[in-house]
Amino acid sequence: MSVIRKSSLDILSVGKWILRRDCRLLSAVPEKVEVAEKAQEEIEKLSGRKRRFNNPVLEYRHVYPEFLPDPNPKWRNSLREKMERADMLKRRSQIDIPEFYVGSILAVTISDPHAQGKTNRFVGICIERKGCGLRAEFILRNVVDHQGVEVKYELYDPTIQSIQVLRLEKRLDDKLYYLRDALPEYCTFPQDMDPEMLPEGTPVPLNPVQVKLKPKPWLERWERQDLKGVSNIEEHLKEKDRVRRELRKTPWEKYDLMKQYRKTIPAEDQTEIWSEVYNQLQQMRVSRKKLSRKRLFTTPKPQLG
Amino acid sequence: MSKSNLKLICSALNKMRVSCVTARSCHFQPKFRPPYWYAPKERVMSEDMLTQENRDFIEEVRQDKLNLQIAMESPLAKVEAQEVAEWDPTTRRAGLIARKIGNYPLWSKDGKKFQTTLLQVVDNHVIKYTPPEEFKPMKTTKLNWREKRKLGCLLIGSETIDPSTVTKDYCGLFSSVGMLPKRHLFRFMISPHAKMPTGTPLFATHFRVGDYVDVRAKTIDRGFQGVMKRWGFKGMPASHGVTKTHRRPGNIGAGGQKARVWPGTKMPGHMGNRWKTLRGVQILRMNTKHNILWMLGVGIPGETGAMCYLFDTILPLRKLKTPPPFPTQPFVEDLPLEYYDESIHRFEGPTITFEES
Amino acid sequence: MFRSLINRLSSAQTCGIHTTPSLNEVRLLTRLRVVDNSEIGKRAMAEGKPPKVICVYNKKRVGLIGDRVMVAIKGQKKKGILVGLKQNQKVKVPKFDSNNIVLIDDNGTPLGTRIHVPIPTILRTILKERTHAKGADYTKLLGIATRFV
Repeated sequence: MSVIRKSSLDILSVGKWILRRDCRLLSAVPEKVEVAEKAQEEIEKLSGRKRRFNNPVLEYRHVYPEFLPDPNPKWRNSLREKMERADMLKRRSQIDIPEFYVGSILAVTISDPHAQGKTNRFVGICIERKGCGLRAEFILRNVVDHQGVEVKYELYDPTIQSIQVLRLEKRLDDKLYYLRDALPEYCTFPQDMDPEMLPEGTPVPLNPVQVKLKPKPWLERWERQDLKGVSNIEEHLKEKDRVRRELRKTPWEKYDLMKQYRKTIPAEDQTEIWSEVYNQLQQMRVSRKKLSRKRLFTTPKPQLG
Repeated sequence: MSKSNLKLICSALNKMRVSCVTARSCHFQPKFRPPYWYAPKERVMSEDMLTQENRDFIEEVRQDKLNLQIAMESPLAKVEAQEVAEWDPTTRRAGLIARKIGNYPLWSKDGKKFQTTLLQVVDNHVIKYTPPEEFKPMKTTKLNWREKRKLGCLLIGSETIDPSTVTKDYCGLFSSVGMLPKRHLFRFMISPHAKMPTGTPLFATHFRVGDYVDVRAKTIDRGFQGVMKRWGFKGMPASHGVTKTHRRPGNIGAGGQKARVWPGTKMPGHMGNRWKTLRGVQILRMNTKHNILWMLGVGIPGETGAMCYLFDTILPLRKLKTPPPFPTQPFVEDLPLEYYDESIHRFEGPTITFEES
Repeated sequence: MFRSLINRLSSAQTCGIHTTPSLNEVRLLTRLRVVDNSEIGKRAMAEGKPPKVICVYNKKRVGLIGDRVMVAIKGQKKKGILVGLKQNQKVKVPKFDSNNIVLIDDNGTPLGTRIHVPIPTILRTILKERTHAKGADYTKLLGIATRFV
């Protein structure tokens, strides 16, 4: 009897610890979010409690990750962050910066200073998204005429005329640099690709495609990076590479709570930030939706006429 | 017997002590003496057996004083009616005390990105003006200062603090002129006709957008550093038989007749935490509500949260050409919220397009 | 297909040493890829002997986009213009998977008649600046480009 009680107490305390832990771990880093979600599921199994974070405000940290400041305390300043957010909202009122993730296919149109009066459109898969505030940037990659091309864009650059999401999806990894060493068919997208509409209310689909890498030499040591989106990495490895991979592993880092804490913004700060920008973002979303619907209704008319 | 011995020893010791004190006399004046208004600021906090009532009373008094200070009107309005001083290019105006609060980019109207540093002007007030005749910063042996000195001293303070947290001496500086103590105090040397009465608030509008200013601040403290970090030496090779001298300076002087190290040789030592002035920094944007200045570039010394001091620039080609607000811009209710330089793109403005010329 | 296979094989064999692998700089003895349809360029690429840089015409001797280089190609000295780099580029400037070159003669006229890869639009400004009234006219290169990114 006493043994059972003790074990149940243990489980409860573990549950409490996990709960406390992932309260703090509200980050924009998708990997950690998964961990948090797993932990949540564990808690549900263990104690039969309901999920605590059904708050839509906190969901914004995936949709608008650049609204969260850099967690380094050396660079934090609440007033600067506030001004930065106000400027971001001002820019967002001018153009529609849609929700997108690493792995989504985007089309970016910029006004071209080198050919005056013209625009420049580039379609590609987003292989990286980083930076916070007005410094946020992303990299698009495509293979045009059998030549791999990458372009880096700043999200709040005023020369960007439009950002269009052609296919909204996520990939298995949070950086897709390995596409540079993959076979070219994995990042070849036609320049005149049609946008694919998702039905409203569906969650963002996860594309589980696993790419094939070209044989070595590679740009980076992909085998050491624990990539999920690569299928044939073991084929190209030598015994030496496998040994070194084992030596370089850092399995203790997932238990390093301080490291995770330093990389994330605490939940209290996040609620403050989101409550400040939530209303305006929501208004923009709604008005954009109305506009797009109107466009849907109006576009067939000239064709008929 | 023993008692008398003890007395003897005691008297001898006493004499010794007294002689010790008299022997230690200082014949040399120190070269640098702190200015007369300098007073140690930090106070050792102690719980002086205060009751809760007393504490409440102190808090109440403090709040009252603070409210009085906030409600105080700018005395500039009364003065200006009597004497209107004119600005001319040789005039030296007062400056501002600001806090560095971070960096972020702005874009120009032709699509170029500029990194900017944000400086917040925090609650600046004029504390005291000393005319040039009365201003004696240091005791000097030379007596010709009276003829030379043409600039008066204006004390400006920033960030009002609780009087109970600072020493009595420091607090006395402010209470003698009827102000609450400030956390940061700085001395600006100004022309006599640019003086301002005590209690004049200063805002970011003291400068204008497009002007150039000099920024003085303390650089980031990096501690004791080697020559590679401190002076950018190359070090020595990592391999090829080099042992134990990878980051060392190498030779520091010649032998022969000059068998010594020349003064000023670059050596390891303490790096940072010293005053530096960055001259000719342009103001690109200004927020009048929060008193924020956007400065061009990221070269302003100090880390985020450090204080810096702003002056009109002394660079001959970037000096003020048109008269600035003089002696300062008084508080006006209906100022526009933001001022931008003409070349800077507004975030609420439409997307930049390049028209065919 | 066959050509690309040869290229890959040859690169796998010759790519043992890279002077600046981390920066992907174009400097002395870097192998480049000819992307126009000039006869000599086509043959050099097909044989798996891509041109080597023997001079970069700027002060730093590290080639940037739009710089003129001299290359050793099939035993001859030819000049060319860098039209795409592997190195990290500035914002909105494309970065390519290979270091591309278009062969030109002394007057700036391209040897080929077509470029079969995309060309960065920033070259329009750069080449216009490099062209002087009496010197070589590099802007002819832009005329044979098929696509700009």
